[in-house]
Formats: sequence, structure tokens, C-alpha cells
Amino acid sequence: MDGKNLRKEWLPFLVALTGIVLSAIFAHFLGYHIEAYLDLLDAIKHHLPWLSFVIGALISLLLAIITKTALLAKARTRSLDETNESLRKEISERAEVEESKQKLEVALRQGQKLQAIGTLAGGIAHDFNNILYAIIGYIEMARDDVDKESTVYKNLGKVLEATARGQELVSRILAFSRRQHHQHDVVNLRKTIEAALSLLRPTIPASVTIKFEPEIDPWILANQTQLHQIFVNIINNAVDAMDDEGQITIYLSRIPANDPLLKAFPANEAQPYCRIDIVDTGHGMDQPTMERIFEPFFTTKEVGKGTGLGLSIVHTIIKEHRGEISVESLLGRGAKFTILLPEQDHSEQQGEHHGQNTTG
Amino acid sequence: MAKILLVEDDELVRDMLTQVLQRASHQVIPATNGEEATSLLRTEKPDIMVTDIIMPKKSGITLISEVKNRQPDLEIIAISGGGRLDPTGYLDLSETLGASVSFEKPIDNTALLMAIDLLIHGKRDKAATK
Repeated sequence: MDGKNLRKEWLPFLVALTGIVLSAIFAHFLGYHIEAYLDLLDAIKHHLPWLSFVIGALISLLLAIITKTALLAKARTRSLDETNESLRKEISERAEVEESKQKLEVALRQGQKLQAIGTLAGGIAHDFNNILYAIIGYIEMARDDVDKESTVYKNLGKVLEATARGQELVSRILAFSRRQHHQHDVVNLRKTIEAALSLLRPTIPASVTIKFEPEIDPWILANQTQLHQIFVNIINNAVDAMDDEGQITIYLSRIPANDPLLKAFPANEAQPYCRIDIVDTGHGMDQPTMERIFEPFFTTKEVGKGTGLGLSIVHTIIKEHRGEISVESLLGRGAKFTILLPEQDHSEQQGEHHGQNTTG
Repeated sequence: MAKILLVEDDELVRDMLTQVLQRASHQVIPATNGEEATSLLRTEKPDIMVTDIIMPKKSGITLISEVKNRQPDLEIIAISGGGRLDPTGYLDLSETLGASVSFEKPIDNTALLMAIDLLIHGKRDKAATK
């Protein structure tokens, strides 16, 4: 490799040197024997035009070769530049693909985790219902056997209250594992949000204001009760995060099928989505909290105040509706939940019912 | 007063329900799973069968469909804890197959006893009109 490089660098000099040396030798001989050469010139006199043509042609050829070489060199530089450019593009594309793959993996892992926990929760709920049922049954019988004024009767009443709490917990766990068994109808999203808000308003402190700003009036294929559950859970969380004072704003807008925002979410279809942003002015949350916020049983509330199931149920419901949910927040700067739900062409689907409600 | 076949794999629930039903002066024949219930049905003639859905050996679903074919006048009450395989524990399916009433555990025993009474009365009325 080195030898080759050396030869490449010295070759032009070698050629020039050889030419100069030869010219010097020629000039030297010409200087001493000029007479003899002039005689020779006489001899070839009638060949001179021919010779001059040959020399001219040679020089032209030489020039042509030099030009050609220069052109070739230029073309090569250009193609090298092009290759460079495409390589650079490919590298950035690869990086992008890698990044979206990682995002997808994270989302997938999250989904699988939630699903696995859902299955587990279903199993636990089944056994737990049996246990609770036995406890409740025996206690009721025991209460029938004692005097209604006795401490035993009252204390057993407390046990019943505790079982009622256990029952509520199990029904929440079941709600989480319950996935495909809700009837989906074509519902008006704007009206559903308004209904959920009117349900919530009486329970929310007066110092918390709720604003709803719909840009569109879309229809989606969904289960109305589950939609209520989504908004009630998120807004209740927001209220809890605000210590009784602040503002919650809900925006409703449309994202066209080709919107770049959709690329951030894996596994969605090319179709228009309804976008709901729920923005609060609460105390926000840090990155580790945000990462775990949709996990079941994850809660930042004190024991007894939250089950840690609210947002994981929201996540499950939104997945069931082929939607997406994400959260943005900074500690002390409030939080923004963004929900995407596939929009439904109302004219085609009106009145069509999907599935059966089997929740009994 | 009715003769009730109680099919339940959970020992605690079975014992508790037996006591509850006996206290309401019903006669209870307990069975721990579908297979046992099937063999008991060959010798006994209960008015009502109260059965769990998710059980080892023979499930409540199989039991209900078999019994409904063989003894169409036997009233069936399905009970389930839900979860495990299907969120509702196949309660809706059991009703389609022929269970008259279905309950999700934990059940309000008063409601269960009322349902039993209603079914018994309905049965007697039917028998009387025949």
C-alpha cells in the first residue's frame, strides 16, 4: 500500500525529470554538432511539414488526454460525494429506524406487562371472590346467632364493612382484566366528554375550574361507560394533583391520517384520530413516576386513598378502543395527558353495534 | 322447603352455602365437582341445582348442558367468581345453556334464597296448572 502511494506521488516528477534530462542531452548534442544537424535538416527538408503535423497532432492528443483525465477525476469526485451523501442519509435513517424500534419495544413490553398482570389479576380475583364470599356468608350467619345489641354483632358488622372494601378492590381488579367484553357503539365524543364533566363537577372543589374547548364534533366507536371511566379517572387524578386549586383544560381536536405525530405511536393505522388533551395546573410528576404511571397497583397516593388501578384501567380501556395515551409532565409544572382515539365515519356506521355486553 | 343439589369445589364456600341453605330449611345435597353431581343426579331428585362454573374435572358449563338435556325441569342457578379464563366466569353462557338465574360471587345470600323461593314457587305453579 505504501509503495504504491509512493510510486503514485513520484511518477509525475519522474516523468518530468526524464523529459528534462532528455531535452538537456538533446540540447547538448545540438550545441556541439549544430552543423551536422543542419545538414540533416536539409536531408529531411521536404519531410518538415509532415513532421510538424505529427508534432502538432501529438501535442493535441496529449492535451486531449490531460483534459480527459481531469474530467474523469472530476466525475469521480462527484460520484464519491454522492456516495458519501447517500451513506450519511442511510446512517440517519438507520438511527431513526432503530429509535422507533426501541420505542415500539418499550410500548410492547409495557402492553405485555399490563396484559400479563391483567391475566394474573383475573385469576386472583376469582379466588378472592370465593374467599370473600365464604367470609361474608359465615359472618352473616354468626350475626344471626347473636344479640343485635352485643359487641360481637357490631364487631362482626365491621368485618363485613372490611369485606365490602375487599369486594370493591376485587371488582376494580376485574374491571382491569375485563377487556373485550364491552359493547361498542358509535358515540359522540364531544357529548360524552360533556356528560362526564357534568357527572364530575359536583364532586370537584369550586376552586378548581374545568374548561372544555372542543374544536371538532367527532364520532367514535366506543363504549360510553368506559369513556366516562377514562375522563373520570384522569380528571380525578388531576384534581388530586392540584391540592384543591387550579385549572383543568380539555382540548378536543383532529389529527389527519398522515400527521407526523402518529409516527411516534407504534402499531396504529393510517386514519384520522381524535386527539384529547387534558391539561392540569397541578404539581406534575417526575420522569420515574411518568414511566410507571400506567402500571397497575402503582400509586403515589397515601395508603387507602388510591388503589393504583385508575390509570392502568384507563390504559387498558384506551388500548381496547385501538387508541393511544401518553403523558407529558414536569415536576411542579402540571401534567398533560394526550389521548388518541380512532375517528369513526359517522354516516357509514350509525347504529351499528359491535359485540355483546357480557358483563352480566 | 326444597331439595337442593349444591355443586361447589371450594370447601369453605360449599360448607357455608350448605349451612345458609339448611338454615332456610332447605335440604342440601353437596357435591364437590361436576362429575360427582352427575352421579348424584342418578339417585337423587333435587328441585334445584346450584352450581359453580369454574371447577376441576367437570366444569359447571358442561354440567349445565348435560343436565338440561336429561332433566329439563330441574331449575339451575349458576354462581361464579369470575376471572381466571373469562371475566364473567361464563355466567352469560350458563344462562344461555339453561341456567334460570346466575350470580357473581360474592353473592348476597338473601338474594340467592329469594331466587330459590321464586323458582320453587314457579315450579309448583307450573306443576299445578299441568
